[in-house]
Amino acid sequence: MNHPGDIEHVFGADKKLGDIVRRDEILPLLEQAAALGGIMLSVTGADGGVIASAGEEPDMDFITDRREVMIEGEPSGTVIARGDAEDAERLRGVAGMVHAALAVIVASNMKRVLTTDLHTSVVRQSYTELIKTNRRLAASEAQYRELAGKLELMVAERTKELQQAHTRLLQQEKMASIGQLAAGVAHEINNPMGFITSNINTLGRYAGRMREMLNVLREMAAQRFSGADSEFVDRRWRTTRMDHILADIDDLVHQSLEGAERVKKIVADLKGFSHIDDGQEVLTDLNAEIDRTLSVLAHEIPPDAEIARQYGVIPGFKCNPALVCQAFLNIILNAVQARGAGLKLLINTAGDDEGRIVITITDNGPGIPPEIIARVFDPFFTTKDVGAGTGMGLAVVYDVIHRYGGETGVESEPGMGTTFTIRLPAAAGGETGDVALR
Amino acid sequence: MIEYDDIDNRMVLKLVYYGPALSGKTTNLLRLHDILASEGRGDLMVLDTRDDRTIFFDLLPFFMIAPGGLRIKVKVYTVPGQVRHDATRKAVLQRADGVAFIADSREAEMANNFESFENLERNLAFVGLDIAAVPLVLQFNKRDMVDIQPEDEIRKKWSPTGIPVIMASALEGWGVVETFRALAGMVYDAVDRRYSLKEAQGLDKKVFVENLSHRSDCDAHKDNEGVAPPPQRHDT
Repeated sequence: MNHPGDIEHVFGADKKLGDIVRRDEILPLLEQAAALGGIMLSVTGADGGVIASAGEEPDMDFITDRREVMIEGEPSGTVIARGDAEDAERLRGVAGMVHAALAVIVASNMKRVLTTDLHTSVVRQSYTELIKTNRRLAASEAQYRELAGKLELMVAERTKELQQAHTRLLQQEKMASIGQLAAGVAHEINNPMGFITSNINTLGRYAGRMREMLNVLREMAAQRFSGADSEFVDRRWRTTRMDHILADIDDLVHQSLEGAERVKKIVADLKGFSHIDDGQEVLTDLNAEIDRTLSVLAHEIPPDAEIARQYGVIPGFKCNPALVCQAFLNIILNAVQARGAGLKLLINTAGDDEGRIVITITDNGPGIPPEIIARVFDPFFTTKDVGAGTGMGLAVVYDVIHRYGGETGVESEPGMGTTFTIRLPAAAGGETGDVALR
Repeated sequence: MIEYDDIDNRMVLKLVYYGPALSGKTTNLLRLHDILASEGRGDLMVLDTRDDRTIFFDLLPFFMIAPGGLRIKVKVYTVPGQVRHDATRKAVLQRADGVAFIADSREAEMANNFESFENLERNLAFVGLDIAAVPLVLQFNKRDMVDIQPEDEIRKKWSPTGIPVIMASALEGWGVVETFRALAGMVYDAVDRRYSLKEAQGLDKKVFVENLSHRSDCDAHKDNEGVAPPPQRHDT
């Protein structure tokens, strides 16, 4: 059976006569009938046990009338009448009447008992089902509540992920455009720069020879010319400031070559910074990348700024250098923008005991108010005026560093300055010296 | 089985007449009561009804004593067919030893038959019985009506299930006893397998079925007209 608890209440279980009629119910009938007939009447169950009895047991010479009481077609009890043998007819009449009345009571009670049984069974079963349903609903409600509670968290998580993905995409797109532009500009500038440098070198050599020749001519003139001619040459030599020119020409050439070198370096840095050549992850010397970032930013950094670089020996880090440069740039640019004149910037790199790379960038800017410091890495969070800032700068830092399994941190004391800390995980790779630099 | 007591040497079996509302379950029992002899059975107990619709159940009890002394009571119940009385059906179906499914032959009632049969299957499972194992006969009642599904169609549909199918008109009184006897025979087989009615009690199937369904003498002369199915009608 499925429901062991219900076994006692199997509907349809057989009833004994004693279950169906109670003594009190039939006793008045027996008493009245016994008195009427002057006889003894009793009703017994199938096992012979007396259910009810009335009247006096006759002393002697009596006869007994037994009539079976049927329940559901099965003999289930007996109506026993005992009385004077001389009044047998009355005995049978009264016994018959009692038997018939009892049959009516039995049938009627039987219906009531069965209906009650069924009702009880149905109520019990319905109640059990209700409890089950209730339990199921409660469980499902709890589940939905939990889901609803989690849903907010899940939505928040997904939103954050989406924002980060969005940031990354924006960033990639930006880097791609910068890269393309840089590559184009680099190419266009490098060609003329090539012949400019080469020509200036040649010009310098020519100038040297011209000076040599001029000096020869001047010495010859001093020997051969005299009087007015000699004076004329001397005067012209002085008015054309030939001594100064001959002395300055090397400086000019030298400075021009330096200038050309700087242009070449700027172009190379721009190209290198955007890393248009390699979107791949390579083992990167982060110290060199910070230098590169600073040189790209040279024109943004005020002339009086003091930039201190304390580079430690750090292992090469496998990453896409363009992204890491972008992260450095965003932090440094923030510092530059936060404090124009009198900027002091301390950039420190070091390896910690566990092989991680720790980079700190400290400025002496106005600092970040404590109430917003927790949000500075959030995408689209900006304190700048609408249109001035995207709110993406530090979000990109967060995204890039976390993408490489690193951590970002920020500490700030308003009025004193801000320190950004980047921790990058230990990775396979040798010391800086072993890194194959691009 | 409602009860088996080997010390008291008694057994109480339960047969259930199941089916959709108004398919004639109570009428089947009324006819059995009319047709079968009153010895060995009790009166038909029709519990309180409303508008002639069964809301509790009907009960027709039988009683016999096997030669081996086993006292066997067979209680035949109907269930209320109306959908709303499902809890009552489950209670009555508890520990059933056999089921007669009374279907309404009218074309319009086929959906109700189907639904009720599904309900039977579900409720049997609910009370822990396997419809494939429990003795089951299928009666297509109301063959006296006109808009009924043809017999060959019914047989074609049901013969693959192996469930005995009996055509009947409870109103006219034929097919009713056959249904009851078919069910009684299957119930005997099932009980005999577990309780060796024949070996231990000397009660064979024929005697068991006959004891349950012998016709009253006064009705004997009616047998030919009332109880036997009329010649097959060919409605086409």
